[in-house]
Amino acid sequence: MFPMRPLKPTFKSYLPPLQTEVKKTVQPPIKKLEAKLLPGEIVVNEVNFVRKCIAVDSSREDLWGKLICTNFKVSFITHDTLQLQKFQYTNRLLGEHDIPLACVEQVVTVNDAKGKQKVLGSNQKLKFNPTELIIYCKDFRIVRFRFDEAGPESAKKVCLAVAHYSHPADPQLLFGFEFAWKRHHSSTGARLNGVDIEGGPQVPLFDRPSDWDREIKRTGASEWRVCSINEGYAISPSLPEYFVVPVSLADQDLKQYSGFFAGQRLPLWCWNHPNGSALVRMASIKDPVQQRKLDQRICTAITKSHPKRSDVLKSDLDKSLPNIQDIQTAFVRLRQICVIEPFEESEERWLSSMEGSRWLEYVRAFLKHAAEVVYMLEGQHASVILQEDEDRDLSCVISSLVLIMLDPHYRSLVGFQGLVQREWVMAGHRFLDRCNHLKKNDKEESPLFLLLLDCVWQLLNQYPTAFEFTETYLTVLSDSMWIPIFSTFLFNCPRQRAEHCREFVQSKNSVREFNMLRFPCVWDWDQQFSRKDQALFNSPLYVGKGTSCIHNGTVKTFRRTKKTYSSTLRGLPSLPNGMLMEVETLPRRNSLAQRLRPDFSVAREAPESPSERFFREWLTRPADPHGLLLPQLLPSHLRLWKLYFLRWVPETQIPRGGPITAFHRLSLLADEIEALQAQLRRCGSASTSTSTVSTPNISHSESSRMYFKARSPDDLSSPPEYLTSSFPFSPVGNLCRRNILGTPFSKFLSGAKIWLSTETLASETL
Amino acid sequence: MAEIESCFVFNASTKQSIFLCFQASNESLKMELLADVPLLPGEERVIDKDIIYICPFNGPVKGRVFITNYRLFFRSVDVDPAVTLNVPLGVISRVEKMGGASSRGENSYGLDITCKDMRNLRFALKQEGHSRRDIFDILFRYAFPLSHGLQLFAFLSQEKYQENGWTVYNPVQEFRRQGLPNDQWRITFLNNNYELCDTYPTILVVPYSASDEDLRKVATFRSRGRIPVLSWIHPENQAVITRCSQPLVGMSGKRNRDDERYLDIIRATNKMTSKLTIFDARPNVNAVANKATGGGYEGEDAYQNAELVFLDIHNIHVMRESLKKLKDIVYPNVEESHWLSSLESTHWLEHIKLVLSGAIQVADKISTGSSVVVHCSDGWDRTAQLTSLAMLMLDSYYRTFRGFQVLLEKEWISFGHKFASRIGHGDKNHADADRSPIFLQFIDCVWQMTKQFPTAFEFNERLLVAVLDHLYSCRFGTFLYNCESARDANEVKMKTVSLWSFINSDRASYINPFYTVEFVHVLYPVASMRHLELWVSYYIRWNPRIRQQQHSPMEQRYKELLALKEQYLRKLEELQLSDSTSHLSNSTAPSPSTPSQRVTHLQTPF
Repeated sequence: MFPMRPLKPTFKSYLPPLQTEVKKTVQPPIKKLEAKLLPGEIVVNEVNFVRKCIAVDSSREDLWGKLICTNFKVSFITHDTLQLQKFQYTNRLLGEHDIPLACVEQVVTVNDAKGKQKVLGSNQKLKFNPTELIIYCKDFRIVRFRFDEAGPESAKKVCLAVAHYSHPADPQLLFGFEFAWKRHHSSTGARLNGVDIEGGPQVPLFDRPSDWDREIKRTGASEWRVCSINEGYAISPSLPEYFVVPVSLADQDLKQYSGFFAGQRLPLWCWNHPNGSALVRMASIKDPVQQRKLDQRICTAITKSHPKRSDVLKSDLDKSLPNIQDIQTAFVRLRQICVIEPFEESEERWLSSMEGSRWLEYVRAFLKHAAEVVYMLEGQHASVILQEDEDRDLSCVISSLVLIMLDPHYRSLVGFQGLVQREWVMAGHRFLDRCNHLKKNDKEESPLFLLLLDCVWQLLNQYPTAFEFTETYLTVLSDSMWIPIFSTFLFNCPRQRAEHCREFVQSKNSVREFNMLRFPCVWDWDQQFSRKDQALFNSPLYVGKGTSCIHNGTVKTFRRTKKTYSSTLRGLPSLPNGMLMEVETLPRRNSLAQRLRPDFSVAREAPESPSERFFREWLTRPADPHGLLLPQLLPSHLRLWKLYFLRWVPETQIPRGGPITAFHRLSLLADEIEALQAQLRRCGSASTSTSTVSTPNISHSESSRMYFKARSPDDLSSPPEYLTSSFPFSPVGNLCRRNILGTPFSKFLSGAKIWLSTETLASETL
Repeated sequence: MAEIESCFVFNASTKQSIFLCFQASNESLKMELLADVPLLPGEERVIDKDIIYICPFNGPVKGRVFITNYRLFFRSVDVDPAVTLNVPLGVISRVEKMGGASSRGENSYGLDITCKDMRNLRFALKQEGHSRRDIFDILFRYAFPLSHGLQLFAFLSQEKYQENGWTVYNPVQEFRRQGLPNDQWRITFLNNNYELCDTYPTILVVPYSASDEDLRKVATFRSRGRIPVLSWIHPENQAVITRCSQPLVGMSGKRNRDDERYLDIIRATNKMTSKLTIFDARPNVNAVANKATGGGYEGEDAYQNAELVFLDIHNIHVMRESLKKLKDIVYPNVEESHWLSSLESTHWLEHIKLVLSGAIQVADKISTGSSVVVHCSDGWDRTAQLTSLAMLMLDSYYRTFRGFQVLLEKEWISFGHKFASRIGHGDKNHADADRSPIFLQFIDCVWQMTKQFPTAFEFNERLLVAVLDHLYSCRFGTFLYNCESARDANEVKMKTVSLWSFINSDRASYINPFYTVEFVHVLYPVASMRHLELWVSYYIRWNPRIRQQQHSPMEQRYKELLALKEQYLRKLEELQLSDSTSHLSNSTAPSPSTPSQRVTHLQTPF
């Protein structure tokens, strides 16, 4: 426990102050239900004798305990244990029943007797005593608490506190600030609940020139350089301090050009193909007078950086992809059909409802667009500029996907994390706005990052051996967006982060400690999970770079091979050098379906385009998991990401089934192989001493990368009982749709087509 | 450069036969084309001809077609990669002439072939000189031999295999495995000459206390004499799955005391069963409608100790139409703009869901100790689906490589699923109302189960595809004819090769490496649209825009890892050997990790 010196709240006060009772953190009697608090976390309100609903149809499984609202989470503490849950996958930052406030999407209070319900927002009044609190979560959970036996006033206070504190008025009220501050000042130093917060992540954060230099070297982009004109964010507020530009563009030119770009966002280099073509992302040019000239200059510079002086193609993302509101709408609809609509009733129209949500259509559109860009880089040997108005949303998704398809490095865990760091965090994706952490502007909310994860999942699903990480990793990563202590997902851009940190520290009256506020990074997974649980991130199918694997009886090492590409573009339409080409200028929205029409449906009338030929020919070759990866784009080959979207739905759980069972089997084998490898290494290193060979390897089990471990050689044991298709998640108590006053909850919501929106329902009291 | 893979059959038969031309396609294009047409023993060339294959994906391809008494084989010329087609004639359901001598336009004169395996083939010929007449006639004769007084290829094949697949299923042995006969159930040979029921097998298991006379009486009240007989008995709670056809209740609501008593005897064989559950696979209305033709269902008054449950599975005609709609949206092109709603409107997955959930209900009753009777109208379509799927859920033996073959032989082949009528082997009447993809639907259900339980089945997807390919191919005798009596009369076991001879000779190709032996558990798949998927690697396998994989990447990887493990073990052994020889001690090479040592720290606490 941490010494809570001040008894008054040390964080900025919410206005107006609620009935804040700060608990003394004295060592509690063993039997007492006490909140487990993180540094900087304080209890706001709590209520005893609360029942957490577990099953939809009966209260038999319900748990009794205490409901606590802190400045970080809604916590339910109980001595009861869940009967149905037989495995533990615990987040170190959260208890089994905890919900971070940032994960709260909507707070609904109900009074059964009076037949009233109200959606609570920030700073609101509640005229009735709630008998029930329903929390709708951003991660699709629906959690219900009943107050039948609880003190009505305390229950009400907790409900109001949850609603209030989940709507922070200012980014600095997000718990991460207090946490980072406290953790830094905590007398216990760097250790927190046994979590080592020192050992920095190995993931390059791209906040220093060296990270970029390494990437330039790795990709052989010799005609590109790190540019530091934005140090101190002198040029653009949303660009990182360091980024990469063509060698031929001098700092002076760049400074001059920057003014013409939206948000002063100069073009950013993303990646170089071994054939020399580069991927660049760029904001739109605001000044129409300058546009042509500037475009020309940028293109010329990029062409000069290409060893073959190849063409530059431009891909206008705004014109060819759904916009952020479209994506949000699709997501809300999908959430509606996945977890809100009653299960049985929605079965019959499930497929058309899925189609109606358009989510998969958008996933496909992004994958397809990225594949087209891959074709330009790989097939046409041309450099590509991804152009988006602000270059902060769609281009993050597309550039990430293109890189994942082209470069196996980004399919490794470290590579992927560095990619997110680069193409999202540093490139200034507005995580704060898109996550809507402040719940201020619903119009800015859009699940673009989840969209990327879904696209990556589709690739993972089609090419399971090509990725070092698992779908569990992707799911956990997306859940981490709602734990507001990671710098990764809290800010709109690096500059905003720097400014808020400075202000926060200043507000603590300690100017001298400027720049000392250090947020943990989501990539430091030790913050959240034990090493053992982190093993669930590792795919047993992956043959990593540098990891040996057997091939025709010989151990072969996979390396990124630098192929020599022919300089002539045989059979490809040649384009005038440096000329800008609008690739796929496609109409929006309504005609999206049209542009996804089968490309060679009428083979005789519409001859196959070069890119289609490129895709088809690639598909006929055996897939190299460590080479180019292209998605299969037929709609029949894109799937709903069930682990993510359906993991809380009890009816869809396959007991003792699901892909995890095969994963289990593979893990056992991979584990055995790792054990053998370790043994062989020891044999090799200590070939003089025989004794080592027979000594059991104690250290192996700790260092093993596999979650499921072989208990014996040739372990053919069946999957453990607790495995389900939702593993490692469990629907138990996490999705309690309920009938309100005898009406299915969906009816209550029928007025609101989308997920309960505060506006539509706040006033609604029956 | 690989062949255009989509254009040849992805199955084991072609794996062997295509091999030659696969290899040869590039190096020896100049070789005589005829030389590398793969022929099976007993297969004979009938005709070959220059032709244009109108590939729906790549447009017209010039080449040569070869027709044998078993297959249609096409090889392109002047195209790299070479386009090949290798289609057993049994797959063909319809051959039509396309265009006339005066048709205009390029490639408008030729043949249009509809296949049973979700594809169509179009060939164009030169318009002059009735160039298609001979090939059309020959194709028509050899694709539909039974309509032309010819024999099915299975009777001409000279293939020899080490294994004899006809020994896979021995009914007495199988019943013995189930612990039968016992004090409640006996094996009867009453049907030895197919006198009791001509569509049932000779060996039947019936309640011990029902006499042969009782059985004869019951047979008069059950459609086509298909009386309730045992399919499976639970080894512990003794609950049984029995199958039969509908009772002949008719419009007047006839009753039959013997039938009523017989069902009560079945109920009484299991002390736990207070009420016998009768699962009528049909929708309620269909069961009522069947009264008009003399059939019907067990009325509540007549069968006091029974409860009747309708499972709402539609009839063969509905399923046929559904598959037809499915074909429309997947071949040649996958419906792109409204894929999911189009898929929904075929109702194919919805039917799969109903069949699966029916089987789940049967399995659930049995595992809770209650006996069931399953029937539809005749008890050879939906009934076979339900009993075999329920048995697959209940009994892990049927999920093994051998057990699955036994299941098919038992519940489908011996109990008279009308393969000949449903598939139309060698028959030209493509529009025959008796045709229906009931067995395909069952295999699809099995596939859905394997997807939900990737470690529970010893066989892999390739086996399911191979079974379906040879369901049509007529290369093996296994699926020929409608029932056992017809098979006996035609000496199928004597004159043809069993599909299992072929399959079991190449066992390794069909083994699921993730299979984990498990005996105890009932496998309940989730019959929800959320989980049911279209089996794209079967229904959409001809499309060049999908990746054709001989093995799933997961299986491939698993095998690689196994090889790696072997290699490490060998290395380790070598090292230890060299050590022990140099030290002359510790002669027992320790295993890489002794179980007892590792258990202590490797057991994951849950």
